[in-house]
Amino acid sequence: MNELIHSVALWLDTHGWSTALHESYYMYNWIESTHVLTLMLSLGMLFLIDLRMLGLALPNVPARSVAQRLNVPMLVGFTVMIITGLLLFYAIPVRTSQSLWFRIKLVLLVCAALNAFAFHRRMKTAPAGWDLARRAPPGLRLGAVLSLVFWALIVLCGRFIAYDWFDCSGEPSPFIATLAGCVPGQTQF
Amino acid sequence: MRIVKLLMLVLLPVVATLSWRAWGHHAFSAEFDKDAPVTLKGVVSKVEWINPHAWIHLDVEGEGGQSVTWMVEGGTPNTLLRAGIHKNSLPIGSEIQVRGYEAKDKRCQPACKANGRDLVFADGRRVFMGSSGTGAPKDGSDPRDR
Repeated sequence: MNELIHSVALWLDTHGWSTALHESYYMYNWIESTHVLTLMLSLGMLFLIDLRMLGLALPNVPARSVAQRLNVPMLVGFTVMIITGLLLFYAIPVRTSQSLWFRIKLVLLVCAALNAFAFHRRMKTAPAGWDLARRAPPGLRLGAVLSLVFWALIVLCGRFIAYDWFDCSGEPSPFIATLAGCVPGQTQF
Repeated sequence: MRIVKLLMLVLLPVVATLSWRAWGHHAFSAEFDKDAPVTLKGVVSKVEWINPHAWIHLDVEGEGGQSVTWMVEGGTPNTLLRAGIHKNSLPIGSEIQVRGYEAKDKRCQPACKANGRDLVFADGRRVFMGSSGTGAPKDGSDPRDR
């Protein structure tokens, strides 16, 4: 599996556009800045929704209205964030695909997506009038807490991708090397 | 109140962006040793002109005459260009001198690593090659240090 991921990453790395982004004077910086700025937009909205469910923000506004209103800017930010994130990966595919932090981040993103899916189902099936209360029902509150935790960890992991502590080029311990997907004898990092 | 809220709306992202910049792409102390300054005189063997940090590979003559490969981290290609370093100014085989700090990881795998602060070309021109505000020691190499 790790060999396959590595060979796909090496193939992406041969693309002219990937190299151009990796070596660009402006594009990479713009994309990275946009990624971080749209993160503020989408997570800013998401966290407000989560905090409303917990009764910690906008307690006098119906929870459903908060969720519906903030959903649009959140999704706009989210879309740009995903696109710029994919471009950042495309610029540096080999190192990123073997980054322990990036791998943890992907697992957490899947967790966050499943949690969001469950959250929306619970919101639909909640008894009428639930959203007028200061705090949402327990199921939604759990979803809100999980969302806050998952996304905080996702941002942290994203931040840590910048550091080389566990890079395959530094020959980490066998355990870390397996998790990070280092391929024995690889020559490109 | 409305004005205060508006001000907050404008100021918060600005402050956040500024503090982000001050942090740099990654903090100096996470990977490099401020107590291990190095001066490397060697021949350029490869330049990785990449984001978020460029890497200059140097063949440096070590003790006993054998050649040691060093990888010196610089700023982004954009930062280097603005400082006056570009692809054509670092041809393979050219002799340069770099001042910087060794990596905390001193195993030298696959090459010895250092964070570059400034670079002296063969003609004696000295150029800052790092990024400002990373938390590296204020050693006079960064003209924007206050």
